[in-house]
Amino acid sequence: MADKLHATAPIGAEAISANGLRLALAPLAEAASLGAFAGSGRAELLACVRAEFGVDLPQTPKAVTTADGLVTFLWCGPSQWLALAPAEASGPSGASSGGQGLMARLRASCGAVCALSAQGDSRTALRLSGPGTRAVLSRLVPVDLHPRAFRAGDVALTLAGHIPVIVRHLDDQPEACELLVFRSFAASLFHDLHVAMTGHTS
Amino acid sequence: MRLTCPFCGSRGLEEFTYRGDALVRRPAADTSLQTDAQAWTDYVYLRDNPAGLHSELWYHGVGCRSWLVVTRDTRTHRVDDVRAASAVAAERSGGAA
Repeated sequence: MADKLHATAPIGAEAISANGLRLALAPLAEAASLGAFAGSGRAELLACVRAEFGVDLPQTPKAVTTADGLVTFLWCGPSQWLALAPAEASGPSGASSGGQGLMARLRASCGAVCALSAQGDSRTALRLSGPGTRAVLSRLVPVDLHPRAFRAGDVALTLAGHIPVIVRHLDDQPEACELLVFRSFAASLFHDLHVAMTGHTS
Repeated sequence: MRLTCPFCGSRGLEEFTYRGDALVRRPAADTSLQTDAQAWTDYVYLRDNPAGLHSELWYHGVGCRSWLVVTRDTRTHRVDDVRAASAVAAERSGGAA
């Protein structure tokens, strides 16, 4: 396996707590994008993912997690999805697969019907949690985050200030959101979120 | 101005890029530049500039990265219709997307 090009964490800062909220790097061992091929690729991809992972790929901006909790699929455009594995999958012998478990599973199960690209070095995940998470995010993200419009499992591809992000609402008890951001923007987004948290009073 | 993306919902203009007139048609590949230069001139240079309803292409680059066909009134910015360009193209060619 090739050596990883980056030896440092995407952001230097430790997890931050302010006003009852917590901001931290979220675990993301592997990520891959899936783009269904034209024609019957889309239907075939849905069937292949259902057979291998036991979930239906979402058709609207939502996320779905497998029953074992190992893989989450995010809608990120018509016929496009992101597959995320927060924890590194282990091989049959229990040995670490070196961050290749998800990609190997995807390649074997649906490599023939979609374009697969590893995105682990492209994206970083930040997690914002605690009471008032929606209010803090609303300072940066220009979409409706009210509970009636943005619930657990919902996904929005949008901007946080000037930074493109994929926002995923994780839960309401306790309130928590995950933001997928390009790795090189992670430090900047972390800073912006910290400022938004500090200004928040619940 | 806001656009309602058929996939992402109502979003601000900052998420989109204007990509020109949606009604322009490229001449057939065998159209000769020598004998039918006017067809190419129309395609490359000439655009209508209507005061009223305009059919235009927008790209949702920050969101779902879809190309959209927007029907907008150029006098009021009222948006009458937003559809996926893939659906419009499929309809035009009479086939499925």
